[in-house]
Amino acid sequence: MAQGGNNRSRLLLVILLVTSLFLITLDLRGVSLTQSSRSATQSFLAPIQRVASSAFSPVSHFFSDIKNFGKTKAQLKDVQSANAKLRAQVILDKNTQGQLLQLKSALNLAGRGGYKVVAARVIGRGSVSTFTQTITIDAGSSDGITKDMTVISGAGLVGVVKSVTSNSAIVLLMSDPSFRVGVRIARTQSAGVLLGQGDSSYTMQLLDPAGTIKVGDVLVSLGSENNRPFVPGIPIGRVTSVDHTSASLTQQATVIGLTNLSNLEIVSVIIKPATADPRDGLVPTPIPTVTVYVTPAPVVLPSGSPTGLPSPTPSPSQVKK
Amino acid sequence: MRPARIASSAAFLFFIFVVQEAAISRINFPIAGYSLYIAVLMGLLAMEDRSAAVMIGFFGGVILDLSPSIDAPFGQWAFVMTIMGYIFAANRESIGDFSTRPAALVLFVSLGATVSLLIFLSIGALLGESDGNFQRILTTSLGNGLWTLLFSPIILPLLSRFRHLSLTSRERK
Repeated sequence: MAQGGNNRSRLLLVILLVTSLFLITLDLRGVSLTQSSRSATQSFLAPIQRVASSAFSPVSHFFSDIKNFGKTKAQLKDVQSANAKLRAQVILDKNTQGQLLQLKSALNLAGRGGYKVVAARVIGRGSVSTFTQTITIDAGSSDGITKDMTVISGAGLVGVVKSVTSNSAIVLLMSDPSFRVGVRIARTQSAGVLLGQGDSSYTMQLLDPAGTIKVGDVLVSLGSENNRPFVPGIPIGRVTSVDHTSASLTQQATVIGLTNLSNLEIVSVIIKPATADPRDGLVPTPIPTVTVYVTPAPVVLPSGSPTGLPSPTPSPSQVKK
Repeated sequence: MRPARIASSAAFLFFIFVVQEAAISRINFPIAGYSLYIAVLMGLLAMEDRSAAVMIGFFGGVILDLSPSIDAPFGQWAFVMTIMGYIFAANRESIGDFSTRPAALVLFVSLGATVSLLIFLSIGALLGESDGNFQRILTTSLGNGLWTLLFSPIILPLLSRFRHLSLTSRERK
């Protein structure tokens, strides 16, 4: 009896495995049924993700907040005094303010580049089971978004639109291991390829054997034909180390991305590129350090006589940038 | 194995899939993400007999294949979960009933979650997919296994209760 049950389950196993292989073959041959089933799922999930996004937004960074608790504890005293002043000024919800800041920053970058963009909220992230690094945004084909459009944040490149439904789109993040983008070093104009590594660091391969890379070099997107999938001039990352291995034909560098992909809330999709290439116009410039020089003023006694300082003439404070 | 139980399990798994895609995926877990769906599916597989485990594994894999963010061919997860269903049921028969050994069940489910991800990657590699470097793959698989280990003591009793409700009175005896 048990033998019969085992035989039946083995037969069932074989049938189901063959069915799975049949489905895989259909998908690899480009049968639209499998693709449309995923699009239908995305259309079904998008409204639920939108609702869940609002509810889960405050807790989505729960673990990272815990991790930083030790660091922030030391600043607690300062924050408490500042909090009393700020409480009166807080009108909007902290979360909304953060989103507003990200939106402003993204629109600022788009405005400087002359891109026409559609702003969208991040409503979902790729599950661990998918092994791909993606986000779901709440704007789709009804907003003018199509496949292979560039997605940016306030700091720079985020990724590229992978698939679209009427009310949502999936964006492949630049950190995904399958992600490749042509880049240009802003300083030397040498071209290269940036490869996603699965985290916040990237590998850049310089195409020009005679070109040079330096630590601190900023990379911008090279741009694609007809601006799909990448428009030119988008800031991407900064070189943190250069690999001088003589064994490889081209130079390699480790790059840190300008955009923090782990806490994205608002992004912009470039639906119309700029009429002219912004070249290096969007490269972030370092904020100048402010140095303040103060010359001590002489203390004047009540009688009006100086205190004995060498120079009794009061000099104004000088501020040098 | 009743078709109604397979259908109810599939419906339950679809509900968990929606929760996973809409809510759990939003949380930035340290080390690597956590898949509630895989944990629940492994839990169900560990409680079923051979035929039911294979069937639930297949339908559970098909649901996972529906994930819009997935980059693998449709059917790859179905293939993996069908194999996992068979492996689970075959091993469970030699290990015995898990209801009296909850710690063994938690370990079995966590190990299964890790192994299923590794099988998925291996099949993906055979199909020519690129899923990143070895360190990232290891971190993702082991990180998910760790989270499954931590959360399973909460999830599995609830899952066991759900399964008990889906059984007929004759099956409960």
